[in-house]
Amino acid sequence: MEKPIPIGTTVVMERTGETMEEMYVNMGPQHPSTHGVLRLMLKLDGEYIIDCIPYIGYLHRCHEKIGENRNYTQIIPYTDRLDYLASMSMNFGYVLAVERLMGQKIPERAEYMRVILAELQRIASHLIWLGTFGLDLGNFTIFMYCFREREMVLDLFESVTGQRLNYSFYRIGGMPMDFPDTFLTDCQAFLAWFKPRLPEYDAIMTDNILFQKRVQGVGISPPQVAVEYGLSGPMLRACGIKWDLRRNEPYSIYDRFEFDIPVFDTCDVWARYMVRRREMEESVKIVEQALAQLPPGEVMAKMPKTIKPPAGQIYSRAESPRGEIGFYIVSDGSPKPYRYKVRSPAYVNLSALPEMLKGCLVADCVAVLGSVDIVLGEVDR
Amino acid sequence: MTPEEILEQLKQKFGDAITESEVKGVEVRLTVKPEQSWEVCRLVRDIGFEYLNCISGADWMTHLEVVYDLSSLQHPNKAHLRVPVDRDNPVVRTVTDIWRGANWHERECYDLFGVRFDGHPDLRRILLPEDWAGYPLRKDYTDERLVPYTDYGMEEKVAKAEGEKAAPKEARSLQPPTPTKPATA
Repeated sequence: MEKPIPIGTTVVMERTGETMEEMYVNMGPQHPSTHGVLRLMLKLDGEYIIDCIPYIGYLHRCHEKIGENRNYTQIIPYTDRLDYLASMSMNFGYVLAVERLMGQKIPERAEYMRVILAELQRIASHLIWLGTFGLDLGNFTIFMYCFREREMVLDLFESVTGQRLNYSFYRIGGMPMDFPDTFLTDCQAFLAWFKPRLPEYDAIMTDNILFQKRVQGVGISPPQVAVEYGLSGPMLRACGIKWDLRRNEPYSIYDRFEFDIPVFDTCDVWARYMVRRREMEESVKIVEQALAQLPPGEVMAKMPKTIKPPAGQIYSRAESPRGEIGFYIVSDGSPKPYRYKVRSPAYVNLSALPEMLKGCLVADCVAVLGSVDIVLGEVDR
Repeated sequence: MTPEEILEQLKQKFGDAITESEVKGVEVRLTVKPEQSWEVCRLVRDIGFEYLNCISGADWMTHLEVVYDLSSLQHPNKAHLRVPVDRDNPVVRTVTDIWRGANWHERECYDLFGVRFDGHPDLRRILLPEDWAGYPLRKDYTDERLVPYTDYGMEEKVAKAEGEKAAPKEARSLQPPTPTKPATA
């Protein structure tokens, strides 16, 4: 068991030089702004946080052990449950890893379908982040707006996959079925609706002086710290480092599209907000281009009935909405992986939280934690 | 710098510590003795692999293995370091002083494989409760709640289907198959 904290320990406070009792505040695991079950022990000096100890694992579901006892196809539905707000991206990362291990090529049309769905998923994931982040900071309106648009993306996904949250739609070797006939027009209608909504979010959030004061200069993670901790995704790009796996290590067909990588260099919560806000625009661009180029043809490659990758190992990574999702797979040539490991982006991003919280006010803790965009399903696996 | 040059540079300095090496595409793959893993890691960092992707473990029954996946934000090369450690007394020096992000990765490896990282600032279980017994990702770990893999006769079915496809059409009569019929043609 963890060591109990001795009550009544007196310490000299660094900031004021006063001698006083050391104070710990326990945040979570049942706290609405931890977005799941995360427990933070905050060590305080008056109103300032001087240290933070995260406790995770409340949602541990033995993902890797189960994976090692299932065959390659059976793992796909489990990957949905990693990051349940971006199931498509998790599926994508996993099937990509197995296909790279097998050296499997997939049909053109399936590649386009994957990119379209993954980018729509990125929009949906950033929307839910924006909504709940606004809610954390006391802005209820943006929450309703974002969930309205996210609902439309989920409707699109429902028309394609039949599911609204855990799709399991990617297969090793392609996609199980083609888009329904209505999808292209529906998707274009959604994009036409969604693009004018982004300035509305700006009017509520970005241009809101209260919001700006709340997030600027808070939760600083300098670029040096970001690289040492291995932060990825919007967290890294908010530190002024232009790094996106879609651009720097293009997988699937991402090298065929024109899009920008939004980068902000203020390293604070504001920068993370702006990066995600801008990324939605870029995802819209990618979806539009992919819809225009969508070729006809097959969506599934010819695959053996039991998938047995050749003996070997691979660390394969892809860009999920939260950062670098990596799969380390060791195959011994049998139908199930010998070793299956997930490097989840939120786990690594969360490990740098104590660094960001040091020196913050208690009231800013929720803003900083919200800006990390954690999904506990993925952190605890 | 090409992966071959990186490998050459590493071999010059730590020729004895590197037991196996391979270049695969842009990836340098090394197997390093545990006694000198920290020194090799530091050199790898100084060569330009400043970004730690992942630390994972693997249980090979004869020994455990700690696997470091490294890359860089400046160049496309990657490094893949494997450090075999003794199964009964798995100890390897921590790399938290080289990459700070190694902290949670090493805690996870300790939690699930029981590898002890010498010099780690806070080596506690991270995903499992503190009082959990055993290391679940070791291959000999048993738990009655764990459902083992079964292929439900899939291998056999596939072989049979392929055999039937290969056999000529008239061989498939309406008669029930005789028990002596072989599963594969």
